[in-house]
Amino acid sequence: MFRTLIICFSLSLASSYAVQAETSHDHHGDHHHEGTEDAPGISAPLTKTEPIATALKAGGEPVVADLLGVVCDFCATALNKTFGKREEVAAAYVDLDTKTLSLVMKPDMTLSDSEIERLVEKAGYRLAALRRGEDALKGAANASDAS
Amino acid sequence: MARIAAAILALCLATAVHARPVSYEGGWTLIEETDRQSTALWVHYTPNPKLSLGWRSEWDRKQDFVLNGPQATFLVKRWFGENYQANVYGFAGGGLLSGLEDNPADGSGALFGGIFADWETRRLFASYRARGLEGGKVDSSFMQAARLGFAPYEGDTGDLHTWLMVEADHRPDNSDPVGVTPLLRFFKGPMLFEAGWSLTDDEPLVNFTYRF
Repeated sequence: MFRTLIICFSLSLASSYAVQAETSHDHHGDHHHEGTEDAPGISAPLTKTEPIATALKAGGEPVVADLLGVVCDFCATALNKTFGKREEVAAAYVDLDTKTLSLVMKPDMTLSDSEIERLVEKAGYRLAALRRGEDALKGAANASDAS
Repeated sequence: MARIAAAILALCLATAVHARPVSYEGGWTLIEETDRQSTALWVHYTPNPKLSLGWRSEWDRKQDFVLNGPQATFLVKRWFGENYQANVYGFAGGGLLSGLEDNPADGSGALFGGIFADWETRRLFASYRARGLEGGKVDSSFMQAARLGFAPYEGDTGDLHTWLMVEADHRPDNSDPVGVTPLLRFFKGPMLFEAGWSLTDDEPLVNFTYRF
């Protein structure tokens, strides 16, 4: 009886979320991409969440890091916590769909490319490329290779 | 009734699994693991991205002992790709045994060690782990387990991620040495929860992980 209840509950939960995820890809309501998220050869632009939009309005520098090995929410948690501790960072968001870390720095502050790479490795992952400024806001065809 | 009580106890003890046994630098992780053999609580700290140090308390329900002691886990190698990650970990630990139900193991020491490997994309998952334990008055034991998983949809950051999985384990000392356990894995933010049922022993699998 107990086993049957667990199996029924789990299967119904899984199927309802599967349907929800497949039918509503306004994904998550609280962020959106501008530009060419899925266009081949074009790197994704900054993911716009509310904290990121606020930090941009305040005049912070946008940075987008393309990441390797980011496949789950634990990855996102690790990166958000690692970068969230830095005083230079006003807002950070890991997007699993585009495999990017979006950062906006505090006004008049920044992190160097090598420091961002070191922090990504501290979180347990690897940096593939890094874009700043307009390239970060709009996406870029020729991201600078971090390796 | 006893099985239901054991399942409820496991849920109450709750906390996490072999998903990323090493965290980010400075991160704490709380893990509860219950399978057809044992229930364990494990807390670890990651001083650098290749090592975690923690404390493990494990109740082996089949062999009637409790083992309390430290465990270290090392990231031997990690492979990164745009759409995948693969890892090989080694782990080792030890501690003092407490015997239950007339088990004479009380106070004797035990050592254990093993490997854990996984490969994961956002849709597919495969893992293997093996562990050996050597304890004074407790017979040495060995287990190995492999798991395959499939995600019916790709969740983005902060979504509920759902996985359908099946685990096969091999425990040569058991009366049923090969066990099969289908399970569901749910992932959301810093939490991971797994629920399954051993088709072999009619026992629950309940795993929970929280990453601080």
